[in-house]
Amino acid sequence: MTDPIKLSTLTQLIQDAIQSRFEGEVFTVSARIMNVKKYESSRRCYLTLEEYEYGTKTTEIRAVFWANAYSEIEKFEKVLKQPFKDGAEITCKVKVRYHKVYGLNLDVLQIDVAHALGTLELERQQTLEKLVRENPESIQLYDGVFRTFNNRLPLPLVISKIALITAPNSDGQRDFLQELKQNKHEYQFAITEFLTTIQGDNAHQLILEQLQLIEQSKEPFDLVAIVRGGGSLGDFKPFDEYELCVYVAKFPVPVFTGIGHDRNQSIVDLMAREQKTPTKVAAMIVEHNFSFENTLIDLRRRVTDAITRQLDRATEKLDQAKRIIRLSSPQDILNRGFAIITHNDQIVVDPKKITEQMQIQTILKNETIHSTVTKKTKNEKRVEL
Amino acid sequence: MKSGLNYSEAYKKLEELVEQLEDGNIPLDKLAAKVKLANEMIVVCENKLRQIQAEVEAVTDKVSKKSKSKNGN
Repeated sequence: MTDPIKLSTLTQLIQDAIQSRFEGEVFTVSARIMNVKKYESSRRCYLTLEEYEYGTKTTEIRAVFWANAYSEIEKFEKVLKQPFKDGAEITCKVKVRYHKVYGLNLDVLQIDVAHALGTLELERQQTLEKLVRENPESIQLYDGVFRTFNNRLPLPLVISKIALITAPNSDGQRDFLQELKQNKHEYQFAITEFLTTIQGDNAHQLILEQLQLIEQSKEPFDLVAIVRGGGSLGDFKPFDEYELCVYVAKFPVPVFTGIGHDRNQSIVDLMAREQKTPTKVAAMIVEHNFSFENTLIDLRRRVTDAITRQLDRATEKLDQAKRIIRLSSPQDILNRGFAIITHNDQIVVDPKKITEQMQIQTILKNETIHSTVTKKTKNEKRVEL
Repeated sequence: MKSGLNYSEAYKKLEELVEQLEDGNIPLDKLAAKVKLANEMIVVCENKLRQIQAEVEAVTDKVSKKSKSKNGN
């Protein structure tokens, strides 16, 4: 065995070799981030960049975001609306650096956010296409709008029984319940909560399980609300998962989503009816019931108006009939100065039946004149009365 | 008086009588009887109409009160 050299001599050799090969060179790599440790106060982040093939890790190397690149993490979270955490796939620019104490590291200089966005969007588009392709009965795309079995279900006239899927003690839960409880019309709602984690890697399965519970429940619900709190930065991936999206699209009770985000809609939003925030979902429910109450008020007014009109018309017709009858009554005729002539107690209508020397009675308003006909003449001209 | 008639029957009879009176074809000796009958029909119709009005008002008042108490007005 040759004489040993100092370890530092060897590491110096390694450092020199690496420097001479990688000095000043920047590489763009795609990798999965793991073991992420962020130190916000010192604006540093330590992690490993890893590569997998058929589920098996094939490469791992330590990496660091130094303070001058820490803003790249913030940009990633802001633009993609998802946390910079284990499992995320990134494309980034790195420099190779070797330190005799800390070993081999990649200094991350920049994250290609546009690439990440593109990847996400591509995945999203693939899921949407698969949904339409594999579920033609329940999911159709017309003019850029997704029509699903669920989002075309008619709403009941009044919504009262609500199944709420949300995270326990979350902003979304509080906002939703508060908006319903404090509605100015004082409508009452029966809300059954199905609490679960709605963020994280298997959140879509947990939400799906809650939907199954709702479906199996003996309680017939009018509506399912899936809400999560706004404000905090969230991972919306569960709401883009194929399995959950299909389940929502085919769900037999209308589903409303209020998962609080400004980014493009999640796919679950597209399969259901989207209201953006928990408060908006609750407000929509109140508004729906108010709209029905208004319809009732309007119908009642129309019924009252129609009845009043009909009764008025009937009264008017009766009054008119009364006037005609009054004018036709024999007493009214006498009151107006006309006379009725009778013979042997029979009213004489035809003057031809009156002959000379006949005994007739002329009935006036208050008196009857008994007379004998002495002469009959024809009127020379029509008597105008 | 034929009080067994409902509003529609009484009003139909009244209309017939009014038409006959307006036509002037009723023999004078039958006029009084017709007018008497027409007046009877008027009374039947008016009584029925008042009864209907009262019933409708009772129902709409009831609905209105229920609605107001529900809304806390």
